Amino acid sequence: MHKAAQRRIIVPFLLPALALLGVFFLYPLVKTVDLSLHEFSRTGATTFAGIEQYRLLAGDPDFFNSLKNTFLLTLIGSGMLFPPAVAIAWALSQRIHGERFFRFVVFAPVVLSVAVVSLMWKFLYHPTLGLINPALESMGLGALAKTWLGDPATALAAVTFVSVWHGIGIWVVLLCAGFERLPTDVLQAARIDGAGEWRVFRSIMLPMLRDLMRMLAILWAVQSLQTFAFVYILTGGGPFGSTDTVGTLMYRVAFDRADFGYAAAIGVALVVVMLSVAWLLNKVMKRDDLQY
Amino acid sequence: MVEIARKLLVGLIVVPCLALTACGGGGAPAPAAEKAPDAKTWQQEIKGGPIEVGVLPAVGTPSLKFLEEVAAGLEKDHAGADVKQTFANTKARPALEQRWRAGDAPDVDYTMFDGTNPALLEWADSGALLDLKPYLDQVDSTTGKPWLEQFSPAVLQFMEHPATKKIYGVPSELSLQVLFYNAGLFEKHGITPPATWDELTKAADALKAAGVDPIAVTGLFEPYMGMWSDNLWLRTVGYEKAYGVLTKGEGAITDDPGFLTGLQMLQDLRDRKSFLKGFEGTDFTAAQAQFFQGKAGMILMGSWLVSEMADAIPADFKLGVLPFPGVTGGTGDQSAMLAAAQLMSISAKSGNIPLSLEWIRRVTSVETQSRRAERIGEVSAVKGVPSPPGLPGISDVVGKADRLQAAYYGLLQSKAKDVVYPEIAKLLFGKQDAKQTLENLDKGLRRVHGN
Repeated sequence: MHKAAQRRIIVPFLLPALALLGVFFLYPLVKTVDLSLHEFSRTGATTFAGIEQYRLLAGDPDFFNSLKNTFLLTLIGSGMLFPPAVAIAWALSQRIHGERFFRFVVFAPVVLSVAVVSLMWKFLYHPTLGLINPALESMGLGALAKTWLGDPATALAAVTFVSVWHGIGIWVVLLCAGFERLPTDVLQAARIDGAGEWRVFRSIMLPMLRDLMRMLAILWAVQSLQTFAFVYILTGGGPFGSTDTVGTLMYRVAFDRADFGYAAAIGVALVVVMLSVAWLLNKVMKRDDLQY
Repeated sequence: MVEIARKLLVGLIVVPCLALTACGGGGAPAPAAEKAPDAKTWQQEIKGGPIEVGVLPAVGTPSLKFLEEVAAGLEKDHAGADVKQTFANTKARPALEQRWRAGDAPDVDYTMFDGTNPALLEWADSGALLDLKPYLDQVDSTTGKPWLEQFSPAVLQFMEHPATKKIYGVPSELSLQVLFYNAGLFEKHGITPPATWDELTKAADALKAAGVDPIAVTGLFEPYMGMWSDNLWLRTVGYEKAYGVLTKGEGAITDDPGFLTGLQMLQDLRDRKSFLKGFEGTDFTAAQAQFFQGKAGMILMGSWLVSEMADAIPADFKLGVLPFPGVTGGTGDQSAMLAAAQLMSISAKSGNIPLSLEWIRRVTSVETQSRRAERIGEVSAVKGVPSPPGLPGISDVVGKADRLQAAYYGLLQSKAKDVVYPEIAKLLFGKQDAKQTLENLDKGLRRVHGN
């Protein structure tokens, strides 16, 4: 009786959130699936096509190339993002002089717009007029100078680096919050027992941050699988498709070719991929709660 | 009770979704369309009111300032007229096209029609655009001739629907693909401006020997690299055949040996190291700037280059303009030029068609076009307009062209674009030779055209 009364109270409180979820998430999702079952003309006229778009998608090498690039970007990006983010967050969680200044420096790029950051890095990466290659040459490391955005071997990593550079501040803030929530008595006990800082970090802090890391890994995967703006501005998906992601392909198909049905099918496939990756990461990284 | 609550929750989510889905297909209600005015009396029917016109120049550019002056003149002459200018160039196209689909189109817009591009006939076929032919056939009081006769006959193919012969676009400017060269640099090193491909390679070698990168090109925008293969194929294959194979999927690219010849010539240019150092990672603005800084001797670009880079061109820079070099023994069109007309179209649903017609009449008048050519450096499609002083020799170049053909072969709106230009980029980047490029093009084109 008491539970039933509780439920009656909960429902009205949930309604606003559910209505928002319905209008801004479920409706677009349902609509996208609906679009993917149609063929569009440039003027927007539609004809029902059934699963034809999905059949085409299954044999489209451009889609699989973009999917491969998107996964690579996610993987390379996680390598570029998490080790430095954890190291910076750990350093900032220590009582260091000028901590506020360092926090500002790390967080500052986050407030810049993607367009500004992309154009800035486009200049920095320029093979002859930029700053990176001349700097390498002046240090006697001319052999490392590359046409960063123009070489299929480096372009994806170069774009990923810009994306990580721009966003790392957010991840550092989240990790700092994680470090600050660690129980100080456990850490002190380890130090009293003679553990060095590296040992404390490796054997106590990291295991205790596992849940947070799992969440951050899922967030990164979901975010990077949707990558669009940096690629669009820096390389447009080139050279010859080596940085084309599912997002840029979808944009091109929808707005250059006005093929909204096919673009919607790509979008639905991306949702399925993202949900699968999130589920898999959650499953693989899930561990029993630590008791202390 | 729990069951009722659950059903209520499901209903609250699903019903709005289904309702929105049901309503979503129709788009926004179209604004009340004005009946098209009588072609003979439309100028007497001009009345004030708001119109929205698409413009190509970006905010802050001299080109936009010029158009703002034209708009101010229109507002002054017609009480109550209010001309809103909306950026309508490449990056804004997706949003604007969505507005057309939703029935909320600007009164005047660009890129809605091109008689040479099958992908851009749909808007006209669907009745979204106003047929301008009846108005263009009327005698213009200022010239005493039909309005249509004001335009160069070479641009009629862009303005006219190939099947119905109706006209859906009027050109505000013409973009020609030409070979720009640094005339000062050529004079300094005693290099002859190239008229043929052999002369081009010689000029490239001479520039290289003088320590200057011969040709500026961007590696970050594939269609601009594709200008080289497009123009070579124009000379070695011919427009109609190349258009048929690349855009319409008629036959195979291996059928005509001219395609391979063109690719081999491009490979030869690459192997001579004729392109700007580091072009692979150079943006097109940077490539253009490097040309004007004297770091490269030539650049193949649209005639908009001068107006686009006006602020970056040194005062003492001596510019030369040439048509794309001819190919001795080439079986294609040796005197044709690749070009695009920037066409203004009027929405058939415009709420003020007479004022919209007056806008395009003013923008394309000889007087406006002449001032624009002089101040901004745009090439006009209107007869009797002098060549822009910033583009020395352009009238000569256009005069020698026996035909203007559609730039990019209409590939930019087709699936084949993602096949052709990446393969050309691979060739220029040294990732494959001409034969491999042809094989990959053949494979890719067969896939997208299904032949």
